[in-house]
Amino acid sequence: MLQAVKLTKRYGGIEALKGLDMTVEGGDIYCLLGANGAGKTTTISLFLNFTEPDAGTASVCGLDVTREPLETKKLLAYIPEQVMLYGNLTALENLRYFAQLGGRDYSREEYRGFLSRVGLQPEAVDRRVKTYSKGMRQKVGVAIALAKQARALLLDEPTAGLDPKASNEFSELLLKLKSDGAAILMATHDLFRARETGTRIGIMREGRLVDELSTGEVTHADVEKIYLQHMHAGGHYAQQGASSA
Amino acid sequence: MKRIIISHEARQLFRSGAFRALLLLMAGAVAFAAWSGQRSIDRQAEGANAAAAFEDGRRARMREGTEQYQARVLAEGGEYQFASASHSPGAGPPQGTNPGVVGSTTAKYLTLPPTGLASFSIGQSDIQLSYVPVSMNPAMNITRDNELENPVNLMTGSFDIAFVVIFLLPIFILAISYDLLSSEKERGTLAMILAHPISLRELLASKIVARAGVLLAGILALGLAALLAVGASLDQTDTWVRFGLWMAATLLYALFWFALSVLVNVYGRNSAANGIALAGAWLALVVVAPTLVSLLATTLYPAPSRMELTTAARQAQTEAESAYMERLSEYYYDHLELVPEGDGSAMDFLTVAMANRNAVDKAVRPLHDEFQAQLNRQESLVQRFQFISPAIMMQLALNEISGTSADRYEHFLNQAYDFRAEWSEFFTVRFLQRSPLRPADYDQFPVFEHREEPFGAVMTRLLPSLLGMLALLATAIVVPLLRLRRYQVAAT
Ligand SMILES: Nc1ncnc2c1ncn2[C@@H]1O[C@H](COP(=O)(O)OP(=O)(O)O)[C@@H](O)[C@H]1O
Ligand SMILES: [Mg+2]
Repeated sequence: MLQAVKLTKRYGGIEALKGLDMTVEGGDIYCLLGANGAGKTTTISLFLNFTEPDAGTASVCGLDVTREPLETKKLLAYIPEQVMLYGNLTALENLRYFAQLGGRDYSREEYRGFLSRVGLQPEAVDRRVKTYSKGMRQKVGVAIALAKQARALLLDEPTAGLDPKASNEFSELLLKLKSDGAAILMATHDLFRARETGTRIGIMREGRLVDELSTGEVTHADVEKIYLQHMHAGGHYAQQGASSA
Repeated sequence: MKRIIISHEARQLFRSGAFRALLLLMAGAVAFAAWSGQRSIDRQAEGANAAAAFEDGRRARMREGTEQYQARVLAEGGEYQFASASHSPGAGPPQGTNPGVVGSTTAKYLTLPPTGLASFSIGQSDIQLSYVPVSMNPAMNITRDNELENPVNLMTGSFDIAFVVIFLLPIFILAISYDLLSSEKERGTLAMILAHPISLRELLASKIVARAGVLLAGILALGLAALLAVGASLDQTDTWVRFGLWMAATLLYALFWFALSVLVNVYGRNSAANGIALAGAWLALVVVAPTLVSLLATTLYPAPSRMELTTAARQAQTEAESAYMERLSEYYYDHLELVPEGDGSAMDFLTVAMANRNAVDKAVRPLHDEFQAQLNRQESLVQRFQFISPAIMMQLALNEISGTSADRYEHFLNQAYDFRAEWSEFFTVRFLQRSPLRPADYDQFPVFEHREEPFGAVMTRLLPSLLGMLALLATAIVVPLLRLRRYQVAAT
């Protein structure tokens, strides 16, 4: 579904991604862990063709995203850390606009249906979204993904800053999407939820995937231990780099 | 696909209070400009009518005099005679019988007819009067009432529709498009949109089409309203052809400013930086460049002032007179009214006076021609340098389309000079032959018929401006297209 092969990206002198290899199958929730600057957002940007790779390929359902940017975007949905919408439009109007951009169209009732499936209160649907909390906007983001009938989802720290209840609701939604067979790639700092909701975990450091785990085979304590080990190693390398420079 | 974005963008525009306010402001500006432009045209027409009525009235009274005289001659018998140049009212032949007097003391006013779109672009008609007096007086008197100090000044400050289009329309366009991409980027919706099967190019194009569509529909509606409200000769195809050309030029000009917005936006700066860059571009292209070109023209080819021209004419007159003075007693010259009626000397005096005028005309002609030549050089410099600014191209184009260009005026003046020669010849011959004017002769006076230039000539002058704008537009479109691949869409 989602595949990165030797994916490399440089920003000026900085090598943000160094030959990343990864695969996310349908029905997988692949959680990308890693310190800030590890390259998680860069990976997602490359899948969205927001920026071009310097080497390697990113593909969606076998289609190279740089060769078929529009075709692959029909299959993708993207939920950023902050789902940004048109504040002067209602949730329904926003949903309709983005669904139409994705080449789909539904009746008013169907749009309401999507919004209620993601748990948005019915009375909020016709309110302008500038009054929405972050949790509500993230829900609209999921509704957009649902309406688009996306085969693969790219989520970039979607639950950062959400309260535990909202965060939990969001995870429930992801599980629903997973059961529909979508391939989900999510960057996150939430180790606990990564093990709870995710099927696989990838740990990134300095543009490289340094470890991959299946959540069924590890406990929460294991995840934390392994993650911290890698981070310490990174710190060690960073210190070495600093002293030799 | 695109249609969705276009209608979304259009709806967003109309939901914005600022846009609605701008639209109203624009409508107000066009209404005021139409009124002000029409007032200027009306004033010229009134001026032309009043001047013509005054001079025609004088000739009509002279004719009446000849009619009464003719009746008297018929009743009392005798010969229909030629009046001397005497000022004394007497029983003799009236002044109207003397072709020299009629031809030199009354003027014929010639009018450059305004096109149906004249009020849209006043051009320089404030300083180049559309009606000029022609008599046997020196040719330079034809442009006597024109203010010729600085006719190339493009900033004439007249508030006409051309001003609204050239100055205000770009501001309006920049106001609704300076943050075309940057606003979406800052709002975070750009990444949301581009996660969908929409290319950046398609997004930009749709956003521009929405804005340009709304705006041009508005311009067309306002332009039509202005044309119907103040436009003249709506039954003539010429008016509608000109209106079509006006719309085409406005479209090119408007698209250039949209393209400039896109150009600035693809560099990925924030909205504030885009706004400043575009405001600077407006200032440079609309205000600074035309002023500099105008300054360059008047510095390189300074036109001698009208004062110099007048002084030179006086000098020439003095010289011409001094030559004849010896042959004409001062007595005659100073006390013309005392010369006995029918005295040949008085007739001689008029001959001499006419000869003087001829001499003055000959003497001043080179200076006058040089004066006109300087103006032409200024004009052609502006035409050569127009390509540095769409505002200059647009001003020239709109003047041309409205029939208020310097070239059309020159074409008119040349006809006026020709007519002056015809008019002078008519009266001079009769005067020298001492042939008295009879009432019926008044119907034989030369009649001026303005010949419009062939439309091809207008198009030939218009085309460089239009093609220049097209080339500028093409450049402003191609650069962003090349640059767009490097545009960075930031994921959060
Ligand atoms: N647009 C950009 N220009 C320059 N450097 C960038 C850009 N985006 C990311 N980077 C750099 O690339 C590296 C990876 O960043 P990113 O993928 O955002 O990390 P993460 O999302 O894991 O925190 C960082 O060193 C970051 O500074
Ligand atoms: Mg990130």
